[in-house]
Amino acid sequence: MAKKKIHIENTVRRLRFNNNEMTQLELADLVGISRQTVVAIEKYKYTPSLKLAFKIALAFNKEIQEVFYIN
Amino acid sequence: MNIKIRNTLTEIISVAIAIIWMYSKLNAAANMSIASITQVLVQGIGISILAAIFFAIVIHIVSAIITGSKEKNVVDERDNIIEFYALRLSSVIFGISLLIILALLGWFNLHINFGIIAITLSVFLASICSTFLKIYLYK
Repeated sequence: MAKKKIHIENTVRRLRFNNNEMTQLELADLVGISRQTVVAIEKYKYTPSLKLAFKIALAFNKEIQEVFYIN
Repeated sequence: MNIKIRNTLTEIISVAIAIIWMYSKLNAAANMSIASITQVLVQGIGISILAAIFFAIVIHIVSAIITGSKEKNVVDERDNIIEFYALRLSSVIFGISLLIILALLGWFNLHINFGIIAITLSVFLASICSTFLKIYLYK
């Protein structure tokens, strides 16, 4: 079977704005990562681990598939 | 410029200072004793460590004055991955450098002093390359 490249995208930026315009730093502090990592995730430059993805989803009270999806 | 890139830049500056200092001291390596060469190399390593600490403090103070806030240096999983990539690159560069040095020592029948210096400089070279990789990945 040919390898299919998976491109994971997310709705973190939109969810932040929907959550009282939460700043990147606030989200970073909430899930225990650096602000730079939040920036990288929002720009799809970095795909977080499953554990971190769950933490981010929990920070927004969402299911993981509502935050991260395959494009 | 974010805190990660700032920290990486301090590493490069400190290594560059140590290399320049060692280069100025090792002008006649062939005529120097192994004891004096190793003394210079150990001092160079010490200088790089002290310079790294000094520049880290200075850059943090300057940054805090300019931005008016102190940015926390949180280490997370992305930092660990980038650190791992940098470590892998530096070990590859050091391995290749070591092979080249050994080959050159044998091929040109160079003095062992050059080998000791070249091995130490290859460590610094590997360190510089890995820090450049870190800057690229943090950008």
